[in-house]
Amino acid sequence: MRRGTFVRWGVPIAAAAVIAGAMGAGPVIAAVSGDPVLPERTAQQLLADAAAATKDKAGPPPMSGTVQQTASLGLPALPDMGGASPLSLLSGSHEVKVWYGAGDKLRVAMPTQFDESNLIVNGDQIWYWDSGDNTATKIKMAKGAEKPHALPTPGPADVTPQQVAAKLLANADEHTAIRVTNNAQVAGRAAYQLVLAPKDEGSLVQEVRLALDGETYMPLQVQVFAKGSAEPAFQVGFTQVTFTPPAEENFSFTPPAGAKVKEETIGAGGDAEHAEQQAESAKEARKDTKVVGAGWTRVAVLPATLADLTAKPAETPSDGKPGSHWKGGSEGADPSALVQNVLKTATPVSGTWGSGKLIKTKLVTALLTDDGRLLVGAVTPEEITKAAGTK
Amino acid sequence: MSTAETQERRTPGLVPVAETMRTAERRPSSESGQSEPAGPPVRLASAFWRLLGSELGLTFRRPRNQVMLAVVACVPVLIGIALRIASADEAVGGLIGSVAGNSLMLTFASFSFLVLLLMPIAVSVVGGDSIAGEAGAGTLRYLLAAPAGRTRLLVVKYLNAVVFAYATTVVVALSALVTGLVLFPVGPVTLLSGSTISVAEGLLRILVTVGYVGAGMAALAAVAVALSTFTEVSIGAIAATMILVIVTQVLRAIPQLEAITPYLLPSWWTKFDAVLRSPVDFGSLGQGLLVFGAYILLFGSIAWARFSGKDITS
Amino acid sequence: MTVVTHEAGAPFGAAPPSGDSAIVTQGLTKRFPGGQVAVDALDLTVPRGSVFGFLGPNGSGKTTTIRMLLGLVAPTAGEYSVLGLPLADALPRVGALVEGPAFYPYLSGEANLYRFDAADPTAPGGTAKKRVAEALERVGLSAAAGKRFRNYSLGMRQRLAIAAALLGPRELLILDEPTNGLDPQGTREVRALVKEIAADGTTVFVSSHLLTEVEQMCTHAAIMRAGNLVAQGTIASLNGGLTTRVRVETPDVADAARVLGTLGLADVRMPDGGAAAVTADLGAHAPEDINAALVREGVAVRGLAVVRPSLEDVFVGLTGEGFDVDG
Ligand SMILES: Nc1ncnc2c1ncn2[C@@H]1O[C@H](COP(=O)(O)OP(=O)(O)OP(=O)(O)O)[C@@H](O)[C@H]1O
Ligand SMILES: [Mg+2]
Repeated sequence: MRRGTFVRWGVPIAAAAVIAGAMGAGPVIAAVSGDPVLPERTAQQLLADAAAATKDKAGPPPMSGTVQQTASLGLPALPDMGGASPLSLLSGSHEVKVWYGAGDKLRVAMPTQFDESNLIVNGDQIWYWDSGDNTATKIKMAKGAEKPHALPTPGPADVTPQQVAAKLLANADEHTAIRVTNNAQVAGRAAYQLVLAPKDEGSLVQEVRLALDGETYMPLQVQVFAKGSAEPAFQVGFTQVTFTPPAEENFSFTPPAGAKVKEETIGAGGDAEHAEQQAESAKEARKDTKVVGAGWTRVAVLPATLADLTAKPAETPSDGKPGSHWKGGSEGADPSALVQNVLKTATPVSGTWGSGKLIKTKLVTALLTDDGRLLVGAVTPEEITKAAGTK
Repeated sequence: MSTAETQERRTPGLVPVAETMRTAERRPSSESGQSEPAGPPVRLASAFWRLLGSELGLTFRRPRNQVMLAVVACVPVLIGIALRIASADEAVGGLIGSVAGNSLMLTFASFSFLVLLLMPIAVSVVGGDSIAGEAGAGTLRYLLAAPAGRTRLLVVKYLNAVVFAYATTVVVALSALVTGLVLFPVGPVTLLSGSTISVAEGLLRILVTVGYVGAGMAALAAVAVALSTFTEVSIGAIAATMILVIVTQVLRAIPQLEAITPYLLPSWWTKFDAVLRSPVDFGSLGQGLLVFGAYILLFGSIAWARFSGKDITS
Repeated sequence: MTVVTHEAGAPFGAAPPSGDSAIVTQGLTKRFPGGQVAVDALDLTVPRGSVFGFLGPNGSGKTTTIRMLLGLVAPTAGEYSVLGLPLADALPRVGALVEGPAFYPYLSGEANLYRFDAADPTAPGGTAKKRVAEALERVGLSAAAGKRFRNYSLGMRQRLAIAAALLGPRELLILDEPTNGLDPQGTREVRALVKEIAADGTTVFVSSHLLTEVEQMCTHAAIMRAGNLVAQGTIASLNGGLTTRVRVETPDVADAARVLGTLGLADVRMPDGGAAAVTADLGAHAPEDINAALVREGVAVRGLAVVRPSLEDVFVGLTGEGFDVDG
């Protein structure tokens, strides 16, 4: 080969290098410029500051941004689920846009290909808009029901960092080693990172990292790392954020001409939309749930049989088919299909406590005993069989 | 070398033939606008545009390409008629459902459909044919001996493909607009976010869509032209580009491969739906344009590296 | 004077000193991927103003050499210079016909010429019409200018290719087998055209395997064999290696041979078979003197001819009689 050949092909190689560089530039620039920009703080100082910053005012400062949630829990392949399904959050990466005005103005948009669903809260006006079925739902609060952005719904449906952060901070006690770094960068902003590491050997969680904005102390990101994995198993955080009050038009919603308009009341049962549905069933389930252990090695024990799990829950929304999307085939999420899929990977185990099926993911272990109990916890299989022994 | 020297040397060969009137006329000295053959060669700035014009003329006068544009123009009409019939008896949701309520939405609905396969095919044909077609016909050797210049010819070929990509996009938009105006009511446009914009604003957003989708097709054209430099069989380059498009569409549909979708070109073609959100998601559009730019840079430089060093043996 | 030849972006060939040569190559070599050596260390010098015949049997590397000269194929080794200029500057002054015509079948002959004229960065668009019309007229295609190339006959195609080579003022014409597919009339026209062009001072480099053609139009020639140059020079110098002979047709073969011998002609040969003819080197003798001597001696002369050596003899002598393609 002649020299000229090498020189010529150097050009596309250089182009590829420039592109790769540009893709990696964000983190690199962050790493270069992200050295201690913030004054050092201890965990206590930081938590106090954060508490002060959020308690003094009515809530977090007005802001808007994009929240991305990524989960790689090591679950088996999930069937393609509708973008709006909470179950779809268990795998892959999802993005929502958040606009937060002063006080009680909130808009959360979940854009999917050629569709978008919106939750718009403006004082006591609450609208849910789904372009997929061209429906605007006016949501009314039943007396005594909580406000929707403070729904106590557990699990991955909690998409804003505030909610997840609050929950995790509550767990910070004698079971946890806490440290603080002051050179993190999230969504282009300098941030403190609160690192919570379980002291308990039986936990599957390596550490939980909570990034707090260096200026507003608003939680910007939560990452959960499983033991022996460099990538977070679960992550939710802003990829872009601005702390300027968003335009007022984000919070005003009028059902467009030609749209179907429905009214629904939350807190009085009925065929509410998915998230509320989940909340309802979660509340019901909580009555029968028992907790074994303490701290990070807590294991939830609930009565369940194989038949219960694989049967289609009777309460699944009966409106059936989602709006006709271009891509088609995106049938509503079927939780029983998911369970069946997961059970395929289960390994049979037995011990002094009896026998059952064990499912292990990166972050969560579940044991379905043959005597009709389901044990779930972020713990090692040894720990969960131990819990199975404590009747 | 001096000019005078060369002129003196222009003695006829050993075949003595009396100068005819015509040969005397061809003397450069008596030629008014002609460049002096023995002087330094005058490269005309206008020559690039002349070659591009010739290329565009070839592309748009070619029956095959005209048929492709016509087919692409028919699709919005068919979609419009089908929706007109369907909307009479049954209400459908989503982007496609919104067409019944507003004429401008047919443009977006048509793009959402055409951008997946039909427009990429049209662009692949012109891009894949660009170098390979000339090589296969043998005209490439005469173009390069003219001399068109390898880099110059490649740039002209690529720009030609880009113009065709935009022509395809504009044809879809115009056909859909006209069909929409004829079949559906005109009025404020409802966005995916549920808010409403005026007709003028809607037309502006169609313009943005044309710019964005055209850029996406231009990125595909870069891939097609690059593949075209590797073969003398244009159908090979065209098929390779189309297979690439189809394979990436399939990869995009596999949920386990979600991590790679942001790197695939077709993932970004559908992102024009950003204009249908409130506020317009310029972040997403900008990111898409960056991806298109990266593809153009990478495949453009691959095409150049290959073509500038290639032996033309056809 | 040393000129480095390269097209922008494509480092093809560095130039040896060109002097007053239209084409100079030094050690020009092309080895195709796969190992085929098509041209092997070619040292060629084409004087300006010459009509240069480039001869060689099929597959001897003529077209490959021409492709290298036009910057279409990169040489594996060696240097070359065309008109003593960087290749990109030289090519606008070079008209070329390489390995037959190639045009856009769906365009008319005229539109095809506009297309190739547009590819030349030194050709002003304003005068394109004139150039195209002139080129068409020179090859006698004016009447068929508007016909689609697809509908052209083989000869018309060949003419159009020559017309394309004649677009604008040329200092060098490189024609690869220009009379391929032409009828005798067309062949003669091409020959006349080449002579006319050469009369302008344009150098013509014409590859062919038609020896009579080369002999009739060329001032110089080179002969290739399996990628190697076996001879080059003026036609006269190439023929110089062989002597002019005289041939006497007579029934009295023995007597004729004796007379020729006594006249002092060298290399007198008797016919092998039944042919009634004697040949001998003419040398410095005048044919009329030989005829007079034969008649004087009573030899019945049926015919007397001076046989000049043909290029074919040189060609066959150098490249062998075999029909098979080398390499
Ligand atoms: N692209 C190629 N790859 C490999 N070998 C080639 C290529 N082109 C030509 N050759 C070989 O190079 C040699 C010379 O070919 P070339 O075309 O130069 O011959 P030519 O003298 O023009 O013959 P002809 O009189 O038949 O036109 C041949 O043996 C041919 O097979
Ligand atoms: Mg040849």
